[in-house]
Amino acid sequence: MRNFKAVIWCLSTIVILMIVIPLARMMMAADPAILRATISEPEVYSSILLTLRSALWATLVCAVFGIPLAYILARWKFPGKSFVQGLIDLPIMIPHTAAGIALLMVYGRRFFLGRAFEKLGIGFVGTEAGISLAMAFVSLPFLVNAARDGFISVDPRLERVARTLGATPWRSFFKVSLPLTWRPILSGAIMMWARGISEFGAVIILAYHPMTAPILIWERFQSYGLKYATPVAVVLILICLIIFSLLRWLATRPREA
Amino acid sequence: MLRLEAIGVQLGAFRLKNISLHVEPGAYLVLLGPTGTGKTVLLETIAGLHRPTGGRTWIDGKDATRWPPEKRNLGVVYQDYALFPHLTVQENIAFGLRLKKEARGEIKKTVEEMAGFLEIGHLLNRRPGRLSGGEQQRVALARALVLKPYVLLLDEPLSALDRSTRGRLRRELKRIHRELGVTIFHITHDLPEAFFLADHLALMKDGGILQEGKPEMVLRRPRSRTVAELLGIENLLRGTKEGERYLSGLGALDIPEFPSREATGRESAVYFSVPGWCVEIFPGKGDNPYTWKGKMRLAAMNFMNGHVDLDLVYPSGEHLKTSLSRREFGNLPVSIAVGIVVPVGILKEGVYWFPR
Repeated sequence: MRNFKAVIWCLSTIVILMIVIPLARMMMAADPAILRATISEPEVYSSILLTLRSALWATLVCAVFGIPLAYILARWKFPGKSFVQGLIDLPIMIPHTAAGIALLMVYGRRFFLGRAFEKLGIGFVGTEAGISLAMAFVSLPFLVNAARDGFISVDPRLERVARTLGATPWRSFFKVSLPLTWRPILSGAIMMWARGISEFGAVIILAYHPMTAPILIWERFQSYGLKYATPVAVVLILICLIIFSLLRWLATRPREA
Repeated sequence: MLRLEAIGVQLGAFRLKNISLHVEPGAYLVLLGPTGTGKTVLLETIAGLHRPTGGRTWIDGKDATRWPPEKRNLGVVYQDYALFPHLTVQENIAFGLRLKKEARGEIKKTVEEMAGFLEIGHLLNRRPGRLSGGEQQRVALARALVLKPYVLLLDEPLSALDRSTRGRLRRELKRIHRELGVTIFHITHDLPEAFFLADHLALMKDGGILQEGKPEMVLRRPRSRTVAELLGIENLLRGTKEGERYLSGLGALDIPEFPSREATGRESAVYFSVPGWCVEIFPGKGDNPYTWKGKMRLAAMNFMNGHVDLDLVYPSGEHLKTSLSRREFGNLPVSIAVGIVVPVGILKEGVYWFPR
């Protein structure tokens, strides 16, 4: 028993260190003076805000479309279901630069879809909408899969009982299925948001400007070197750490009995 | 009246064939059948949760075949309760009333009355996850009953409960039926439960209804071997019928005529259904009440907690099983032991035959 615990702890510690050491090293290396200057720099500030905001938009819009999809995958059988399931996981696997190129080819001016959206006043190349789109494309699987697993864990009999008690399918969904799944959905949404914030490859191809934080870090590294790229990274990491620790705590708080 | 007319359902591995049933207002119908025969699928089809491939469902004289579940006003109670875990007991029971947009005060009153009736008033603010099985099942019953369902559909409601709770809730179901006058359609695989509760019994196997009627009549007049086995009838003797002559491994049997029985061929292979209770050892005088009298050897004897199981064998190799209560056993004219030969009589009252 004691051995078991010791081994488990050791192995886990290695994983945590694998994450902590590079981050700690980077934070320690950051020049405090430059770090202070960076925090008060409007460009950094607005770029981080832009990143958080566009990833949040991506998550919210995808929730509207992705939750129904997750419900279908959890509840219904249909031909080609495994294929659809595979499609949804695909964005995790393909190189994100490739995803960016694919998006550019569809939402750029050379394809009818891109032109159609442009007529509606929504451009995706070099805009905030484009950033959100790129983020959504690569991070959607996190939300859909989490929500699907959530719906699978809800006994379909609960929905059936709700129907026999007079609930329409809509009512049963909003009063039973959804309230019982909000935790995994929230958890998936957090993952999706987080994944969106970190996205670089797809975003840089669709929208180099306005500059999201990952691109800003890249640009500073290219133009000024490591010394000026590090503080931006540190600021972004600290903000993310605070936000996501808080959200995780919220999503995993035990339910009152 | 709830009436099913040649309902067929196809759902995954389950196929229901041509099911016709009717449930009279105020009846307590029990559908008895082994697990895996599609009883739940049938119940859910009645509730409107599966679309039948054919046939019609009539509710209160209206063709309800295509009605969605929420329009049918049929309550469902499942074996595993299916209470909403995110709601309190009070909110669970009030679920349907709230959907109906009834006034708050009215809902509160109705819920409290029903909770009082089912003795769960003290649990109203709890969450279902922490309740015992019996308590959860009462909540599930209350949740269905507050809506005054046209028929209450119960899917193995007692099967998940421990023995003593099951007994208590079984009596509770009888009380609900009697005092609220609600029509009940109850499915189970438990024979004593079926006989305790049913005023109408239907037997189901392999997706079809085998026989239905008053429990007593079904028990006395099983129509087939499957029915007799489902009913746990102890003895099925193979035999033949030649006109009015009935022959079995015990020799000739004196079987009364059953006017209602459908005509079969003049000569045919049959089974005789002989419930254990109509096998008497040391039978009374006179031949009239008996189908058969003879001497049999006691092949085995098992003492159970309230009764003694006897296995009797005839020289032809035919066996009869019966049981005696401990009191009857004590009152026997001679003490018996395995191996002795005893006089045996089969009462006409319980014997029946059906084609093999």
